[in-house]
Amino acid sequence: MWHKFLTIVPVSLLLIPCLWTQSTHIPELPSGPMQAKATTACTECHETRIILQQRLSKAAWTKEVDKMVKWGAVVDPQDRDTLIDYLSANFGVDQKEYVADRSTSASGKRGTK
Amino acid sequence: MISRRKFLQGVSAATLAGSFAHPLPTWPADDTSLTIPGKEELIVRSYRFLDLETPVEYFNSWLTPSNHFFVRNHMHEPSTLDPAEWKLSIGGEVDRPYTLTLAELSKIEKHSVVNTLECAGNGRAYHSPKVPGVQWQKGAVGTARFSGPRLRAVLERAGVKPTGKHVMFRGLDEVPGKVPPFIRSIPIEKATDADTLVATHMNNAVLAKHHGFPARALVSGWIGAASCKWLTEIKVLEREFEGNFMSPGYRMPNQPAKPGETVKPEDTHPVTGLNVKSLISSPSDSAILNSRTLNIQGVAWAGEADIVRVEVSADGGASWQDAQLAADRARYAWRLWNFKWKAPNSGDFVIAARATDSQGRTQPSAPVWNPSGYLNNSIDQVRIHVA
Repeated sequence: MWHKFLTIVPVSLLLIPCLWTQSTHIPELPSGPMQAKATTACTECHETRIILQQRLSKAAWTKEVDKMVKWGAVVDPQDRDTLIDYLSANFGVDQKEYVADRSTSASGKRGTK
Repeated sequence: MISRRKFLQGVSAATLAGSFAHPLPTWPADDTSLTIPGKEELIVRSYRFLDLETPVEYFNSWLTPSNHFFVRNHMHEPSTLDPAEWKLSIGGEVDRPYTLTLAELSKIEKHSVVNTLECAGNGRAYHSPKVPGVQWQKGAVGTARFSGPRLRAVLERAGVKPTGKHVMFRGLDEVPGKVPPFIRSIPIEKATDADTLVATHMNNAVLAKHHGFPARALVSGWIGAASCKWLTEIKVLEREFEGNFMSPGYRMPNQPAKPGETVKPEDTHPVTGLNVKSLISSPSDSAILNSRTLNIQGVAWAGEADIVRVEVSADGGASWQDAQLAADRARYAWRLWNFKWKAPNSGDFVIAARATDSQGRTQPSAPVWNPSGYLNNSIDQVRIHVA
């Protein structure tokens, strides 16, 4: 079955193994009512790590969301308050510290933590 | 053997990826490290935009190798950059506006500056309460030899008018959405300083793309944001450039702010030169050491001033002793230092380092809070256990 499926996949898609594994490594925003909308609104311009590393008060998140809307983030006005609540709850001042990844060069040398 | 489900997930990711204008990161199988060509073992603060921090253990050489040098991008790097097509325009308050190709720029006499480049937000993560922005810890700093024509040589060809008081840099950063472009300016006095460059080389190699290929400004001793990358326009202005990254960005309160306080823009000034600061590169924080005899090492820098003293405390700041400064030095470059210490007994110790510069400045014991988390130069310390 698997082999039959493989034969109909365009060859071009098989030439991009580097993209193959990334879906499991792009950090996702936490689950919640605004997960999908926050992902869409924020990651148009920057990736999730920028959000994951913040530890801000609700007042600070409010300023950030309003600034980002001014800079082009598409947030439905009726979602604004819920988005601020979502970010404040998940990336508030009391959350544990975010631990960053390490880079590795194209040589394939394994990075360490 | 990859499962069909995983394969489909991969195809889905690949299809989605086709809609992105910029290359995506890649990961080796079964590894959470992120493949970034030319950048080895850096701390990934962000991939889009690329923000990479150097772990402090790499601050053990006077010049930081380019593959370990931090990266700070505000926007997307230029997606295409053909050196044959690249041009640098010089205009504004000048008598003879003109344009340089890379070949023409390379014919102008080169000058080299060994400069410690530090992001204004380095150490932002240690502010309390925390402030928004890239949560740099210690390593948004590095020292390299930058080479290229002096900016003043480029300006002299255009003939700066007496009305020209500031010099603006525009890069080829690609701006998403309605984000304001990353454009900043510096005063004419700094622009015409002998050590302000249009740098084309870093550590004797052509600038890497992450560091501004083919040319970047190099404003020695100032915050990294002054040294615009992927330079494409230099414009002489009558007054400071007005834009987000001059105000409200990159400004400090005129008076010390209370933690969490809002500061009015009119009560702020631009961030320019770097603070006096030192970091401990060895031993590492939380190290467990089997020997009681230690060589404590680090770096110290002071922007436009000179480091005159580094002191080390092995008792959490109760007493201090002078460290030895290494011989390598240049006006805008950090000094390596070391301090040999013998632990009096086994146990836990707090090692701290404190620098003093030629202007008499030294380091505070705690971060000086400000709304954007700039210029944190609080005393560095590591906690170790000697067995």
